[in-house]
Amino acid sequence: MGFRVTRKLGWNAIGLAVFAVMAFPVFWMISTAFKSDDQINSFTPTWFPLHPTLAHFSNAIHQPNFGADVLNTLIVVPVAVVIAIVLAFLAAVALAKYRFKGRKLFIVAMIGVQMIPGIGLIIPLYVMLAHVPVLGIDLVGQLSGVIVVYVSAVLPFSVWTLRGFLLGIPKELEEAAMVDGSTRLGAFIRILLPLVAPGLVATSVFAFITSWNEYIFANLLLQRQGHQTITVWLSYFFGSQKATDWGALMAASTLIAIPVVIFFLLVQRRIAFGLTAGAVRG
Amino acid sequence: MGAAAEAVSKRPRQRPFNWRRTRRGTVPYLLIFPVVATLAAILGYPLYQLFRLAFERYGLPELIAHHGVYVGLANFSSVLHDSIFWHTLLRTVVFTVAAVGLTIVLGTLMALLLVRVSGWVRILITVSLVLVWAMPPVVAVQVWNWMTNVQNGVLNYILTELHIGDYFQHNWFETPFSQLAMVTTLIVWGALPFVAITVYAALSQVPHELIEAAEIDGARAWQVFKDVTLPVIQPVLLILTSLSILWDFGVFTQAYLLIGQAAIVPANYVMSVYLWEEAYFKTDYGRGAAISILMLASVAILSVFYVRRMLRVGEVD
Amino acid sequence: MRYRVIAAVIAALALGVVVATTASASTKTTHTLTVWLQVDAQNGWPSVVAAANTAFENANSGWTVDVQYQTWGTHLQNFDATIAGNDTPDVIEMGNTEMTKYMAAGAFANITANKGQFPNSSHWLAGLAKSSMYQGKLYGVPYYAGSRLVTYRTDMFKKAGIKRSPRSLAAFKNDLARVKTKESRIKGFSPFYMAGTDWYSALSFVYDYGGSIAAYRNGKWVGTLSSKKSIAGLTAYKQFFNATSPKSARTLNEANPAPYTVFSQNRTSAIFGPGWFSCCTGAKYKSVTSQFVMPSHVAGKSMPGFLGGSDLAVPGQSSQQSQAREWIADFTNTTNEKALQAVGNIPNATNLLNNSVNDRAAQASWFVPTAKYWVNVENGNILRTMLSQILTGKLTVKQAASTADANIAYTLNQP
Repeated sequence: MGFRVTRKLGWNAIGLAVFAVMAFPVFWMISTAFKSDDQINSFTPTWFPLHPTLAHFSNAIHQPNFGADVLNTLIVVPVAVVIAIVLAFLAAVALAKYRFKGRKLFIVAMIGVQMIPGIGLIIPLYVMLAHVPVLGIDLVGQLSGVIVVYVSAVLPFSVWTLRGFLLGIPKELEEAAMVDGSTRLGAFIRILLPLVAPGLVATSVFAFITSWNEYIFANLLLQRQGHQTITVWLSYFFGSQKATDWGALMAASTLIAIPVVIFFLLVQRRIAFGLTAGAVRG
Repeated sequence: MGAAAEAVSKRPRQRPFNWRRTRRGTVPYLLIFPVVATLAAILGYPLYQLFRLAFERYGLPELIAHHGVYVGLANFSSVLHDSIFWHTLLRTVVFTVAAVGLTIVLGTLMALLLVRVSGWVRILITVSLVLVWAMPPVVAVQVWNWMTNVQNGVLNYILTELHIGDYFQHNWFETPFSQLAMVTTLIVWGALPFVAITVYAALSQVPHELIEAAEIDGARAWQVFKDVTLPVIQPVLLILTSLSILWDFGVFTQAYLLIGQAAIVPANYVMSVYLWEEAYFKTDYGRGAAISILMLASVAILSVFYVRRMLRVGEVD
Repeated sequence: MRYRVIAAVIAALALGVVVATTASASTKTTHTLTVWLQVDAQNGWPSVVAAANTAFENANSGWTVDVQYQTWGTHLQNFDATIAGNDTPDVIEMGNTEMTKYMAAGAFANITANKGQFPNSSHWLAGLAKSSMYQGKLYGVPYYAGSRLVTYRTDMFKKAGIKRSPRSLAAFKNDLARVKTKESRIKGFSPFYMAGTDWYSALSFVYDYGGSIAAYRNGKWVGTLSSKKSIAGLTAYKQFFNATSPKSARTLNEANPAPYTVFSQNRTSAIFGPGWFSCCTGAKYKSVTSQFVMPSHVAGKSMPGFLGGSDLAVPGQSSQQSQAREWIADFTNTTNEKALQAVGNIPNATNLLNNSVNDRAAQASWFVPTAKYWVNVENGNILRTMLSQILTGKLTVKQAASTADANIAYTLNQP
């Protein structure tokens, strides 16, 4: 018993060391947000601001369009993630559980699409969104245009990753869960969902963060002030020729990281270790 | 309930419900249709344009006139005869191997660590991982710049204070190698959260009693990992490796911003920076398209081993 | 069943949001003038923008001005995309070094005939006006400029017994040496801080000696950095740098660390850069910070400073060009230019210049060769590489200059 406790302590110590190393740059970002300008640039590093200031946070929030752009991002990102995960899950089920002609081609296409450098697609994508064929609408400047781009950016790897999680479900768990011999597709999916929940969570967190931090397309497609996303708003802090207000930038970055952390905290319970252990014992 | 479950699991590999038999024809196609339709609709035209542009001269005058000039294979020829292209390709391959190797190994170790620590430590680590993950790349680059700054960087300060050496005003970006080494640390650091959290999620699918059974049998930690854990997480690891190869090969933001436009020269190009500088910055979209296609071919070759492994894993039964 | 219902609800919600966001497309019952300005305006002089918008909208009922702020890093790529997509803005702010490439490609409307429409156009600053012209035709309107100055610590200079700003480069070197002896206790101190590869500052020395970067001769561009005068300038730069600036800065650029940051850390007594450097020299030293114009190697004269700045152009694709020109005229009128001057910029016309140190610096200036592919020379860091080679001693001044000349000629003469 004592050995177990010591081992746990040992692991915890290593865990805390890992935490310290990984989190240091984040800590630096957050502490900079509270430092005065002189402390930010001081010759010897200021670890903890002894007289923290909220001025940078105030400056950040009072930058034009902060509220509007946060709202826009809170629309764009969750919608894109939900659509992408739902579609990707369906496709991943097909890839992992069915044999059909064209399956290999589809998988290769999913990974092939990701090999294309995004920079090359910027202008053709813009031209297409400006005059969408068939529908004849102009999606430039619209949030839906950005949603559409984010969904397609996130789909391939989501399909790819979810397929891997589905493949990883041990056969015993599947069979045990299907005791009643149900034949309907709906029930089939219902059975798989809890087993693959950790994978869904990991994939959706990635999709969320990728969309949240995406800059190039948001900057290109959304030009009107107040109708942009938060990353474009952030870029205005350092896009001028003059000196950058680092304190305000760090404060702004800290603020916009908060929704991401909240989202993660909400879903991370589903990645509980041993979640599936109880299923077999019934 | 328990008896029935036991009865099921004792049966030979004969499934009560054969997925593959019922309506095999349409169901899978229905399932993949939304994804195929979405991607075809959004990426179809741009991809076609990209391939077309590779065979045209399309600079600023052509952009304004909305009309390119067909030049056959001239763009490809020009790029393939450019020694900078080949040097950059080699440099990028080496960089990718290093970055991916470090990411996957360290990420898996981190995931295994997450399993073993107490709940509160786990939350602490995962929240910090998410914060790292969520940090906008431009901000991460700037923090890296501050930490490694010649004038007042903490890195120099710590190393000098710990008497590891005199790092007063040491320039961590002196040579192309050191510049790319810094870029690698930044990228690996930023990539670890996704790998660690995803592998941790995959580890949760490993049946606990199998691990316990193996440990009771006297297997050592490495053997348990190899025989019990690895098979379950192997599909996920293969995916992460192949994705990491794709992403690190094509990485742009960190490589471009950390070194900085003012210090970017052919000697420290990675492929996407080469693409940006030699094509898009110079408004030569035809050349850019050709380089994009060559990049696609290069990374396809680089990742073919993992992709094939991935495909074969899915071939089971 | 439950999951299906949930899925359906989510899908419906998502669809609803998508439709809603599309439907909220701007129903343009009014005309809109789209203007692209750099974010410097939003941060630095929002009232000037507002004044121009109000004036324009009052004179044109039924019109709204939609100002869309851009950042320097991405605005050209975005502009290219709008050109391809046939929805360019009606007015765009361009950096003066960015103009030539786009003028040569025919991206902008020819406004030569409308020159008189713009306030103070007969007195435009020569350097800016040159950047708006291509082959004798006018394609842009000068917006504002910035030159280069020395920002220095009055207390350190006083302590070293320096009574007045130096009248020559040699005198300046001596002054800095005196400051150095007085401040030798400060670890890592250097009397002058300049990033070695900061070509905007370094090439001032070249132009001070009568040299230049490149010249157009016999239908071709030739690099002129290896001419006798240019070499004299580069050598003077090397000597000045070695005598006054820290060795660790030889290969650094001015982005990282920023010279004003070094200044705020008490690690230097003088820096060379744009006038606005005084913004960020540290709260502690605000009262002891002042500026003077960099002296020439010739006593009594000023060293020419790089004239940065922006122009405003009307993309040729715009279908609202006369309104665009009207807005530009409103934006660059005398009142607004004076307002720009008040926040530290150099106004676009000589008749608006006052005797501030900033405006005096603009009297002697130099500008980059107005070549179609000049930006490629800048982006390719050809000049930075040359300066790095010179300062580290990797190549002699002559070798480095010749290599740079070859690269410049190659880049500028591309078809």
